[in-house]
Amino acid sequence: MSQSLSEECTPLKRKYDACFNAWFEGYLEPAVSASVTPEQRTKFSQEKAAEFEKACGKIWQEYRECVQKAVKDKGLESLLSQARQSHPLKEAPPASHDPPRS
Amino acid sequence: MHYFSQLFNYDHPWSHVVIGMWHKYPNAHCSHVVTIDVVDRSVDPNTGIVRTERILGCKQKAPTWIVKLFGGSEDAFVREVSFIDPATQTATITSVNLSLSQFATCYETIRYSPASRGQTSFHQTAEIQAQMNLWRTASDKLENWLVQRFEQNAQLGKLGFSDVLRQLWENRDRQQAQTA
Repeated sequence: MSQSLSEECTPLKRKYDACFNAWFEGYLEPAVSASVTPEQRTKFSQEKAAEFEKACGKIWQEYRECVQKAVKDKGLESLLSQARQSHPLKEAPPASHDPPRS
Repeated sequence: MHYFSQLFNYDHPWSHVVIGMWHKYPNAHCSHVVTIDVVDRSVDPNTGIVRTERILGCKQKAPTWIVKLFGGSEDAFVREVSFIDPATQTATITSVNLSLSQFATCYETIRYSPASRGQTSFHQTAEIQAQMNLWRTASDKLENWLVQRFEQNAQLGKLGFSDVLRQLWENRDRQQAQTA
């Protein structure tokens, strides 16, 4: 697994990545199968979102705190917030070939 | 503005490709990607869409004149936002450069979706755009600065030569007055 921006965050990052990957690998294929009806999909998604929070929520808080500081220390905070402003990307961009305009 | 696009299939099913996405780096073929951090992630409890925002740190091989002219460092950072939608079996990954973005942006979109015979299609598009307005502002600023410097120097030249002329002719007049 790769490193974090800041060396001190790398152990937390690796723990978090491992936690996410373990959850995600158990999630993806059943999620595809559970998407037959919207009701089924919502029920499954709620369960799995809660499961993810329970499994990885704590390590995520620790890692996020560390990485937020690293982003600040590297002087990336304003660049990131500018990028978020011009492309919030709260939803997946539509399947057109044109990237969104800024 | 420049566009780039490519389309091909991976010989693996969609779920394997999407699981593999998180294991792409470190990669000997892409050794320029050095760091990866998740800065935001959510699992939508209604749709099951996993949204992930990451910052990738790369050792850029930017031309040295860019680094010298505009500052910056050898490290370049990219913001990447991905959406994995199990219902539609679509993974969409967009990324844009954070470093030097005031001068140019490279906006890339990748989409993975299932193809026939257990394959996965990979569609990548990129739009590369230099920020012409900002180049213009920069060149306007440079022009203004040059004009100011020119005016200042012209003014100094005028003052300097006036002094020379005054001294020269004052001395001559004094000498003439003495000899007369």
